[in-house]
Amino acid sequence: MNNYKNFEVRDWIDDPGFRKWVYKGEQNSFWLSILENTPSQAENIEQARDILRMVRGELDDVSEEELASRKSKLLDYISQEAQTRSWWRGRWFQAAAVLLLTLGFAGYYWKHTSTTPYNAVLSLSGNVAITEVVNTDEKVKLVTLPDGSSVILKKEARISYPDVFSADKREVVMLGEAFFEVQKNPDKPFYIHSGEMVTKVTGTSFSIKANAAEKQVQLVVKTGVVEISVKNSGKESKTNHLTLNPNQLVTLNRESNALEKRNVAEPVLINLPIESQYFTFKKTPVKDVFRTLELAYGVHINFDKQITSECNITARLGDEPIREKLEMICDVLNARFEMKNNAISVYSDGCEK
Amino acid sequence: MKQKEYLHDNYLSERWLQFCAGDKNAFGDLVDHNFTSLYHYGTRFSPDKGLIKDCIQDLFLEIWEKREKLDHIISIKPYLFQSLRNNLIARLKKQSRFSDLSANEELVSNDSSPELIWITDETEALNSSRLTNGIELLPKRQREALYLKYYEDLSHEEIAAIMGLQRQAVANYLHYGILKLREYWKYKTILLTMIIDFII
Repeated sequence: MNNYKNFEVRDWIDDPGFRKWVYKGEQNSFWLSILENTPSQAENIEQARDILRMVRGELDDVSEEELASRKSKLLDYISQEAQTRSWWRGRWFQAAAVLLLTLGFAGYYWKHTSTTPYNAVLSLSGNVAITEVVNTDEKVKLVTLPDGSSVILKKEARISYPDVFSADKREVVMLGEAFFEVQKNPDKPFYIHSGEMVTKVTGTSFSIKANAAEKQVQLVVKTGVVEISVKNSGKESKTNHLTLNPNQLVTLNRESNALEKRNVAEPVLINLPIESQYFTFKKTPVKDVFRTLELAYGVHINFDKQITSECNITARLGDEPIREKLEMICDVLNARFEMKNNAISVYSDGCEK
Repeated sequence: MKQKEYLHDNYLSERWLQFCAGDKNAFGDLVDHNFTSLYHYGTRFSPDKGLIKDCIQDLFLEIWEKREKLDHIISIKPYLFQSLRNNLIARLKKQSRFSDLSANEELVSNDSSPELIWITDETEALNSSRLTNGIELLPKRQREALYLKYYEDLSHEEIAAIMGLQRQAVANYLHYGILKLREYWKYKTILLTMIIDFII
């Protein structure tokens, strides 16, 4: 203890134990006793302490909640490697605080309406790994399901699906607002669980609005036919089972479990361009066609503008998933394409004038 | 005390190797252990909290993507600090190209030399209202070296690696940095009066 008597300011600053006391308050009683027993050092200690504080400056702390939410975002993200990485990049974490709030609230409501997590339906159906995709971005996010179906998630929408669909049916669970283009396959019906509403389709396109915090679930059909039923309703009555045709909108009241159907002029529910888009092209330059797809699906398409400058497309594309649309376009262009993590590359040899 | 720290370090490097092998829990631990200190270090470069946190997120995703190639790294914290530093400086330079320079002049000068970017104009510091803290009077790189040495407890070698400097340069920064802060402390009162006069 004696050697502290001859300490210079610099010696104090260089003493790791002293620094730990200044910065972290470690071994407080020990250092207080030094301060008391070596009054000659009081000024040196004060100076050293001030200097160390200057070196540190003001530190803005990260709250435990924020750290936890950022960590779980990172873990979510790395858990779904096959999905659309580049779309998560950029400033997606900026929305984190807002997102947390909304999900927190959503989770709260959910707890009171259902005792199981929103995607529990899937875990019941076997040991297959389940992928969950959450769109935290402002931009829409395309998810391509194992059967090729396209799902366009709006901000804060989420979908869970098994990495391999079972032999007799395709089942997914979603929350939030999304647009679906289901790959046609009459042998393997496609089921969507959104809250208490179950939607059965064979091949069609439609939008769903199933926000956990809202008291209703809505769906509007763009093409094809969709069957709706309600689970947890106790007894199956006629009112909670119905069939929907294009331009029909159904609303499920989550409190009364009542389904209500009505006709709409446009199948628009969640304000996505794709809801009312019919992808009709008439001698349209290929770059405009790709631009349309990019905007509709939130994907990025790489192609050689120079080589394809003479290419025009005349086609009427419908409710096929994006992969099928690209196949049709590439047929016309005599091109091939690759789709990786929502980045699409089209390789073409160009078109004749 | 020393023993505990040693075990702690040992544990962390073990977790690091598990992370390199693809262990997601180990990755989560890595985030837990380093996020806050990376953030605090990041605030040395920019007041834009969102930007710093974004850079840290990107950094973690980056190292996850190349985890298999990282098992040779022994000094984990210096490695993370160095990577964050590079990313942040690159990001800030890019940003300064797109935004109003005058709004950012504290962060990045329009001089493209990375060396010059971190050298503050002393008169600017004098005009700053944060003058109560003498650290503002030091060049940014000197401040940074002091922070890494004294707050983060890193060695001269580690600081040299992080900042891309020679060991001797680090020693000089630290020596003169402390010298200036001591001078500042001694003449704080006089200095403050002078500055108040100067401003008025």
